Amino acid sequence: MAVDVETVVKIAAYAGGGMAMGFGAIGAAIGEGYTAARANLAISRNPKISGEIFKNMLVGQAVAESASIFALVIAILLLFLDVPVPSLLKASALLAAGISMGFGAIGSGVGSGYPGGEACFGIAKQPEIASQLTTNMLIGSAVCQTPAIFSMVVALMLMFIEFGNAPLYPTWAAYLGAGLSMGLAAIGSGYGGGLAAGASCEGISRHPKTAASVTTIMLVGQAVSQTPSIFGLLISFILMFKSFPESTSLSAAMALLAAGICMGFGGIGPGIGNGMAAEGAVRWVARNVEHAGDLMRIMLVGQAVSQSTAIYAMVVSLVLIFVV
Amino acid sequence: MGELGKLHQLIIPFFGHTITLNLEVIVMTWIVFTMLIILGLFAGRKKKILPGPIQAFGELIVSMLYGLTEDALGKERAKTYGPLVCALFMFLLLSNWLGIIPHLEEPTKDLNTTLGLGIMGFVIAHYAGIKSKGFKAYIKEYFQPIFFMMPLNLIGELAKIVSISFRLFGNIMGGSIIILVVSSLTYSVVLPPFLYAFFGLFVGTIQAFVFTMLTIVYISVQVR
Repeated sequence: MAVDVETVVKIAAYAGGGMAMGFGAIGAAIGEGYTAARANLAISRNPKISGEIFKNMLVGQAVAESASIFALVIAILLLFLDVPVPSLLKASALLAAGISMGFGAIGSGVGSGYPGGEACFGIAKQPEIASQLTTNMLIGSAVCQTPAIFSMVVALMLMFIEFGNAPLYPTWAAYLGAGLSMGLAAIGSGYGGGLAAGASCEGISRHPKTAASVTTIMLVGQAVSQTPSIFGLLISFILMFKSFPESTSLSAAMALLAAGICMGFGGIGPGIGNGMAAEGAVRWVARNVEHAGDLMRIMLVGQAVSQSTAIYAMVVSLVLIFVV
Repeated sequence: MGELGKLHQLIIPFFGHTITLNLEVIVMTWIVFTMLIILGLFAGRKKKILPGPIQAFGELIVSMLYGLTEDALGKERAKTYGPLVCALFMFLLLSNWLGIIPHLEEPTKDLNTTLGLGIMGFVIAHYAGIKSKGFKAYIKEYFQPIFFMMPLNLIGELAKIVSISFRLFGNIMGGSIIILVVSSLTYSVVLPPFLYAFFGLFVGTIQAFVFTMLTIVYISVQVR
């Protein structure tokens, strides 16, 4: 059976769309379930304000849903995309777009469930500061979405930018690597950012006067947790926009693919670890606000150490791209 | 969606090399400068004990940012770095908000802007570190915990520039790409205003704050 280029592009687009939505559905569902579970607990503690808690649960779940909505947008675009000039390179780019978005939505989806749940529970404990908790929840979950937004950007770039006449070998591997690097690296960062945001909602409900410092340290902690996904973004930009010399040997292509895989998997752990460090710092700033400065410094040093593994992964990826 | 990934560039040949200028970004940056200077002039022109609305707004921002700087760096250093922090935050805030005005684009959408600001923060932080600890102690830090960790510590420091500048760039550019794609899919009906409110105003404010906070934090890690 002979398969022409147009069919291959279609196959890649469908496969990519399926992966984007399939994987993208995992995270948000888990996160929303967690929010609902905490909301149930909250209502059983304080049934009088069940309406308030229910409202907050729905708002939190709506924000947590956004990662999978990004995945849905990418999936639909891939299914109905019109490719003007079909080529094998485009096929690889479309598949990579689906991979990037699918994996990239997992972490943010799970993560942004935490602030929603903790905010519901906090409202049960402190009904007077409900609006403050909702605001903090919205900020926290919006920042959690950043890794998913990065994945979506990489996916859209892979789909719509015309990369010109790059040689098919080894550029196809570079595109797949770009998708894997961004998608996988976004998992840890999204989840880690969620841990920090959840702890901040819990902390504010425990000690509402510390809200300003808690929100500040939450943002810094989340920002540092996102660093591994930013390394993933960097590697995937390099893989997309650097022009590679044509070579038919398989090793050159595999080096580029391996660079993406290395950065992608290497970013998962540091993202979660940084999030845990941020969670601890945020939780304890709320209880001991006089020592916020010390806590923040220790958090940053701890995160820098936990991040070093992401830096090793980035160094290996760069060596694979530029040296091998 | 043809405009994705296209830039207006001025390429000047210069003794065998070429200098590339991103014209739009330069113009937009100057627009932000002008707006900031006008805001500053209005806020500080007629100073009264009972402040007018613009003066009150200016005082609110300045006192909030000075408070944040004092928390991280202490009272003495906040006097040195407070103005920098205020200027940085206001510039980033207006830059990120500029995209909601039709035909104008965020200067922070360009990696050159954010990378420049990131390098500026890095240089200032390390200058502050050398000044407060002395050169010897500063160099010694790179050889912690063992001497052969030096290259990795160095890369770790440089990675800070990458992470701070790509974070802002990725968020702002990501927002504008998403708005562009969604607008062209829905023929600019209904959805784009909400997306502008979310990505332009909300994410823009948060990211400006995060960038500013991280610059302060990098300084505070170096000086102690």
